[in-house]
Amino acid sequence: MFRYNFKYELKSLLRSRWLLLLSLLLLIVVLFAGYNGKEKVKERTQELKNVVLESNTNDAAMALVLDSIESGLQVSVNPRRMPNAPMNVAYNYPRVAAIPVAPLTFISTGQSDLFTHFIKPSAYGDSFSLDYSELANPIQLLFGSFDLSFVIIYILPLIIIAFSYNILSEEKEYGSLKLLASQPISIYQWIVQKTALRFFWLTLITLAVITITLLFFGFDFKTNFSAFLQLISLVCAYILFWFTIVLLVNLVVNNSAKNAVSLLAIWVFVILIIPAVVGQLANSFYPIPSRTKMITEVRELKEELSSKQDKILDNFLRDHPEYASKDGNSNYSFWHKYIASQELVEEELKPLISSYEDQLTKQQNWVRLWQYSSPAILMQQSFNNLAHTSTTHYQSYRNQVALFSKEWRNFFKPMLYGNKNFTTNDYKKLPSFTYEPPINSSVLLKVVVLLIFSVIFIFIGKQVFVKKIKKGTIIS
Amino acid sequence: MIKTTNLTKKYGDFTALDNLNVEIKEGEILCLLGANGAGKSTTINLLLNFIAPTSGNAYINGLDVVKNPKKTKPYLTYIPENLMLYPTLTAIENLDYFLGIGGKSFSKAELKTFLEEAGLQQEAFNKRVQFFSKGMRQKVGIALAIAKGAKVLLLDEPTSGLDPKSSNEFGELLKRMKNAKVAILMATHDIFRAKEIGTHIGIMKQGVLKHYFRNDEITLQNLEKVYLETMTLNNTAV
Amino acid sequence: MIRYIVKKEIKEIFRDGRFKISALIVFVLAVVAFFVTFKQYKNTAAQYNEAKANERKVWESQGAKNPHSAAHYGNYVFKPKSPLSLIDQGVDKYTGISVFLEAHNRNEAAFSDAADQTALSRFGALTPDFILLYIIPLIIILIGYNIFSKEIEGSTFFILKSQGVVGWKLFIGKWLAALIPTLVIATVLFVVAAVALTSLNDFGLFEWKEILALYFVYVLYYLIFTNVVLFISSKVKKSGIALVINLVFWVLACFVAPKVASNLADAKYPYPSHQEFNEQIANESKQGLDGHNPWNEESQKLREQTLKEYKVDSVHKLPFNFNAFLMQKSEEYQAQVYAKHYGLLKEKAKKQGGVYKSLSTISPFLPTRFLSMAIANTDYESHWAFTEAAEEYRVGVQRFLNGTTEKNAKYNERYVAPADTWSKLEEFNYESPTFSEVYRQNTSVFSVLIIWFVFTAALLFFTNKKY
Repeated sequence: MFRYNFKYELKSLLRSRWLLLLSLLLLIVVLFAGYNGKEKVKERTQELKNVVLESNTNDAAMALVLDSIESGLQVSVNPRRMPNAPMNVAYNYPRVAAIPVAPLTFISTGQSDLFTHFIKPSAYGDSFSLDYSELANPIQLLFGSFDLSFVIIYILPLIIIAFSYNILSEEKEYGSLKLLASQPISIYQWIVQKTALRFFWLTLITLAVITITLLFFGFDFKTNFSAFLQLISLVCAYILFWFTIVLLVNLVVNNSAKNAVSLLAIWVFVILIIPAVVGQLANSFYPIPSRTKMITEVRELKEELSSKQDKILDNFLRDHPEYASKDGNSNYSFWHKYIASQELVEEELKPLISSYEDQLTKQQNWVRLWQYSSPAILMQQSFNNLAHTSTTHYQSYRNQVALFSKEWRNFFKPMLYGNKNFTTNDYKKLPSFTYEPPINSSVLLKVVVLLIFSVIFIFIGKQVFVKKIKKGTIIS
Repeated sequence: MIKTTNLTKKYGDFTALDNLNVEIKEGEILCLLGANGAGKSTTINLLLNFIAPTSGNAYINGLDVVKNPKKTKPYLTYIPENLMLYPTLTAIENLDYFLGIGGKSFSKAELKTFLEEAGLQQEAFNKRVQFFSKGMRQKVGIALAIAKGAKVLLLDEPTSGLDPKSSNEFGELLKRMKNAKVAILMATHDIFRAKEIGTHIGIMKQGVLKHYFRNDEITLQNLEKVYLETMTLNNTAV
Repeated sequence: MIRYIVKKEIKEIFRDGRFKISALIVFVLAVVAFFVTFKQYKNTAAQYNEAKANERKVWESQGAKNPHSAAHYGNYVFKPKSPLSLIDQGVDKYTGISVFLEAHNRNEAAFSDAADQTALSRFGALTPDFILLYIIPLIIILIGYNIFSKEIEGSTFFILKSQGVVGWKLFIGKWLAALIPTLVIATVLFVVAAVALTSLNDFGLFEWKEILALYFVYVLYYLIFTNVVLFISSKVKKSGIALVINLVFWVLACFVAPKVASNLADAKYPYPSHQEFNEQIANESKQGLDGHNPWNEESQKLREQTLKEYKVDSVHKLPFNFNAFLMQKSEEYQAQVYAKHYGLLKEKAKKQGGVYKSLSTISPFLPTRFLSMAIANTDYESHWAFTEAAEEYRVGVQRFLNGTTEKNAKYNERYVAPADTWSKLEEFNYESPTFSEVYRQNTSVFSVLIIWFVFTAALLFFTNKKY
């Protein structure tokens, strides 16, 4: 049976021009989505390159000046930028802390349009309130981007529905099902085979189109093969999920127009309603505390502390005797006071600041728990993870930058309080920032969950079929 | 070949078929006459195991159709009232497909001879079925029966909507099948055609087989009279 | 005759299980969406009022202080929520809610909701605008996709014809019948919204005109959808295929077109990144006056110029505090630099807006989306209006503070203003654009929507005149 099904299903598909139309449509859509993603990535890479280049140029100039000072030459530099004063370096020559582009970043915009991708934390400013927001037209954020993840999560199921919503009901309505049923075959087996064949062809086309797109946009398969495998296994499982839904609806409803309406309702629920509800619940269960409240609290605290700066410095030096000047010279500069009070500010605000991050983490965990309620959430989470554009990635980036910002300040602290000069030797030891992506939960689990969904649907489908055969409502 | 014993189908309170007992042997044609809803199509659907009987049994070649749904199918060919084939496939391809999924494969030349035997004109063999008339599609159905070597042919209103010439041709085709020892059950509204080709004739009403004649037992006029009487009378007893 | 047709169609629609179920689902969704948004709104409004009152208190109780220190201490202004955001939240989620106003810097509005939420929020939220914009058109499709094809499939069409039905009357009847259920749903939703809005007392300026305009826009949107759906139904003879084509239209209009538009707009008129933008401003600011650096070249120039103007030979002899004067001048220069760059940015935003507008011709969703946000005062324009008002206020604050020093202190003297100085500063009062302003700004979008309606109606009518 399988051989004949294979041969004639293919023949039918080819003759009705479905396969051709489908392939072309998918190719155009996926290429366009890939192009959009790639343009965004290109822009981002280019900008980072410029920033790093500029930073390197500044560094080189600074190193030169340092060298001149150390060899006793006269230099003409704005005293505020003299690199032998450690805090001048700490303030004027920040490192670039960037979240780099991952090989698959272009498949999913994720949260990347909301946040900036590099930041230069200097010794001045609060490490907790660095501005990560990106300058963007909010309309664009509202509408979102036409990226590969949109095509796969939203459009692909619709293509599957349009392609196969009447896979069984058409035969029934047309009349060919009766002739089929009078052959010595199991109709259930036959319809499963037919669905499987369509699944096979659509998956083949989709994978081919995705591979072409990746090739076209210079994806390195060799070094990123595992990411590629994860991507395609997710896509396959997702396609399978929708085909089993289509099969189930065909068996349960078995009327073309009603099938289409039911499938559409399922699409709306899985892709629009469930994610919106889960998101809404995350916000209501773990609301982010009022930001306006934070604003006032931070300012009140700072105002309070700024009036007591001298006292704070005294306390600070008592706690850190290693920083107190040995010769009793108490001529402290702005920076001495600032670093001391800043440390206090950050210490005091820690619980408040972390309450935001904690709530966000809780929201994330909630979503992680409920992602299994809709394959669309599952896919979005996985794609964002593969693309390194998920909420978790940006949150981890912010935390890493905050830590680095502290590290940066601490690097200069002994020099500042020890009244030491910044030297070429110190320059070589300057800390630098490398982004460590968070460890993702396994894609395998998600694929398995999608497969379990599919198996359950097939099982239910079989039960429905058996019941309907008994009642005689499948064929006529 | 075809046999039913006390075959009954009920939908709730409604009895679609009531204790049907018939037997059709090799080389016999039973034509079932009756109005819409008399139980003709129900009988055929029960023989095909499309629906399950409420009680009683149906046998094809001595096999209970409920117990052997797949084993009985190779013996039979079914031609529904409106036989539909895959429109984008040609006659040969359709034949190949329906035979193939049932596990029988033939060469192209063999497929052609089957179609030829069924009386389909040569030019149509490689044409897409979407342009075929009902008569032509039925010939593909008959070719299917010939190819399968079917011993049973189940026909549901095969001549409705056929022009007289095609109808006549189809009758001749059935006679040839009968001579080839095929048992044929045909549900029809066409009294004339039933008398013309049937070896036996039954008249059904409200799920009950009211009359059963051998062809030589009754003339066409009498048959029509009995039919009309059966339809107008209100009694339910035989 | 039309009456009979409408009656029969409505009967059919209401007896159809699909309509009953979907109407029920939409109703439940709408109630949930409304409830959630309402709660959220009250929350935000309370936060806003609290923050605003608190902010002023903090500002006024600074105590004796140098005015420029106060300028650096800065103040926050908060964006009020517009009443109709209850119906359409627009871009509110993606724009910041507060602007920090300080000396020398124009800050962006910070803390958008989207940045504080998971990526799930990008799927969209269960809000009234989601139901109005996406779900109700689906209901229209559900009602209308087979309104013609069912007559042909059921062969009742020929009976109708043989009864001498007049083509255009049949047509109008079906059109009305398809429209009535949608209008009922939409009207109920709007009435509920209006009642809810009037029952809230802290709702600022809520105008009936606005909600009526909003209602009108949505009705127009549904008329367009009905036209398109009926057109497809009348041209495609098979119900299943008509349904699929309708759905394709829905997906293209509501999902694909906006995303494609956003990509095109961004590709054609890209925004600079935040860092890039700031750097440009910083570089340009560096070249001008620096209030904190009297030795800077531009400062020297200003000094000489001022001395000449007042015909004195020393800044000590000027009738005002030159430090504060210099500070104010540099402030003005920086404000100008900001104004220039934000002007360029706004220009870009406008050009992007142009791309969206031109793409409105391919999707009726886009003009509706924009009009709805505009009327609800939750669009990008109103955000601009707010940030610009905030900037204007900031410049005023700096003028006030520098002016205080200028009048009350001598050159190079550290002036400490008395504690009551701060309450003399005018409060920030932002009023969102009025309805007539919004209307004027959006006439072109509105006319696109009207053209959509006229065009689809004409198409429907002329292709089915002889139905």
